Amino acid sequence: MASDQRASPAIAIPEQLAADQPLAFGQEPPSGIPGRERAEIVSRTIVYIALIGVSLLFLVPFIWSVSTSLKTLPETAYFDLLPDNPSLRAYRRALSEFNFARYFLNSVFLSTVVTLFNLALSSLGGYAFARLRFPGREALFFLVLGTMMIPDQLRLVPIFQMLIDTPVTHSNLIGTYQGYFAINLVGAATLFLMRQYFLTIPKDFEEAAKLDAAGYFKTFFRVMLPLAGPALAAVAILTFQGTWNDFFWPLIIFLGNSDLYPLPVGIFQFKDTYETQWPELMAGSVISILPIALLYVFFQRYFVAGIASAGVKG
Amino acid sequence: MRGRRRRSVGSERLREALVGYGFIALPMAAFLVLFIYPMVYAFYISYFDWGILGKIEKVGFDHYRGLYDDFTFRKAVKNTLRYTAVVVPSQMALGLLMAVIVNQAIRGRTFFRAAFYFPSLTSSAAITAIAMYILASDGLLNSILHTNRAWFAESDTALESIMALNIWTTSGTMMLFYLAALQSISTDVYEAAAIDGAKTWRTFWRITFPLLKPAHYFVAVISVIGSLKIFDQAFFVSGGGGGPNYSTTTVMLQLYNTAIKDYNFGLAAAMGVVLFVFIFALTLIQRQLFGKSEVA
Repeated sequence: MASDQRASPAIAIPEQLAADQPLAFGQEPPSGIPGRERAEIVSRTIVYIALIGVSLLFLVPFIWSVSTSLKTLPETAYFDLLPDNPSLRAYRRALSEFNFARYFLNSVFLSTVVTLFNLALSSLGGYAFARLRFPGREALFFLVLGTMMIPDQLRLVPIFQMLIDTPVTHSNLIGTYQGYFAINLVGAATLFLMRQYFLTIPKDFEEAAKLDAAGYFKTFFRVMLPLAGPALAAVAILTFQGTWNDFFWPLIIFLGNSDLYPLPVGIFQFKDTYETQWPELMAGSVISILPIALLYVFFQRYFVAGIASAGVKG
Repeated sequence: MRGRRRRSVGSERLREALVGYGFIALPMAAFLVLFIYPMVYAFYISYFDWGILGKIEKVGFDHYRGLYDDFTFRKAVKNTLRYTAVVVPSQMALGLLMAVIVNQAIRGRTFFRAAFYFPSLTSSAAITAIAMYILASDGLLNSILHTNRAWFAESDTALESIMALNIWTTSGTMMLFYLAALQSISTDVYEAAAIDGAKTWRTFWRITFPLLKPAHYFVAVISVIGSLKIFDQAFFVSGGGGGPNYSTTTVMLQLYNTAIKDYNFGLAAAMGVVLFVFIFALTLIQRQLFGKSEVA
């Protein structure tokens, strides 16, 4: 399995990130042959029209949802793209009457805590697997990668059983934040990303730290961790986005306790209860999409690296 | 001062190993408790009649035998396979097409890439809500097509609508994988082809497409695994019921309902095992088809 992952083309990206180079997309095609300019202009125009058409197909649903969220319910019966009297009324109602403020805060809280856990555990593990020598290291790392092959389908029942009646303490973690944190402490993809990054940092840094009589912990916290900034950013964004968008596990763990719902489950609950309150439903959806869209705008390259490593999940 | 004293190589090694174990102790414990143990536990639970209060009695392979004759489960398998058979090739083709387009030296490349990738960024719940709005019987799509269909609520279009929704939302991710692969193809190859006078179309099919073989394998695996566990959208549009008339009952949805609604843990665990074996086998088959030569 590990060998497939090495064969995958996407793995190059964390290394590019490691070198802190801008991710280069696209390459210049071989220069055109003289006398073909006219044909080129025509074909270019066609390509652009097609491209803009396809992009519209991708973006119109979102534009449409933003537009609807600014309308009143009666207005949604007319298919005007621009609302007559745009107002934030649907947002106010969604946030206060329909509990979306609470869902939003829950999403922020869950995503932040899970991200912190993942950062801590994946950097500890990633560093040890990359740089410290100990017997059984390769076998244990292989085991970690192997967990990527265990799908959620198989984990659902045992995890649910373990949360109803936790090993050792025999408490019930269904319907608690702790239950959600407990099962999302770390993932193989994030640990793998950290390890790959630590492998690219020159050994000189550690040797210099050793000469300064720094112990292993000091070397890790003061020297290696600060150097791993880009990888930590990629792990943080990957985990935050994954948790923010997670529907399956919150649905199971917070079942029936709507005070704990994050946005995706809140949106489902709202749709299931109120059916066709479109402006409020679209407002809730926009509230859920917007933060991740902003993250993407500002941290695009980390998304690409994160996706590449998530892809390692194969 | 510890640092000043010279330690023997042996004790230094031992120290490094102990520190190493210390560093991996927490993450390894998490992997064991959250992944390895549950996997074994799932096999174990599937051997029993097992309810919310725990083990009831040992039934051996009865759950697996029962699944074979279970009408709903068979329907769920059929739907899931039909879904996978449509979505995987469509996602791959669309992802590749978009990757080739945004890999060209064109103006606004960054914009087009972001536009194509945007649906992949968003939460499945939010995007399904938007799709339900657009595909509602009095929604935008019907007004454009001059039809009057409740796309998600009629049994002959519900699953197809989910297919279309997910092809649209996830092909952006496939595009990124293909893009990374396209970037790694050396420009020399294209220059050589240009000198030979090869046409663009021919260059693509004869050179680019075969060179992307590892990417095809990789994308196919990701897409198949994702498709076989289709749940969020089916749950969302049917309110968890898998209707109308079982048209959106997927394996994952059936598993969820068996475990979380009926508390029939033994049977649900057996479903999980079946799906796991299925995914594992398909991954191996795909490796035979696409990945053989590249496996180091």
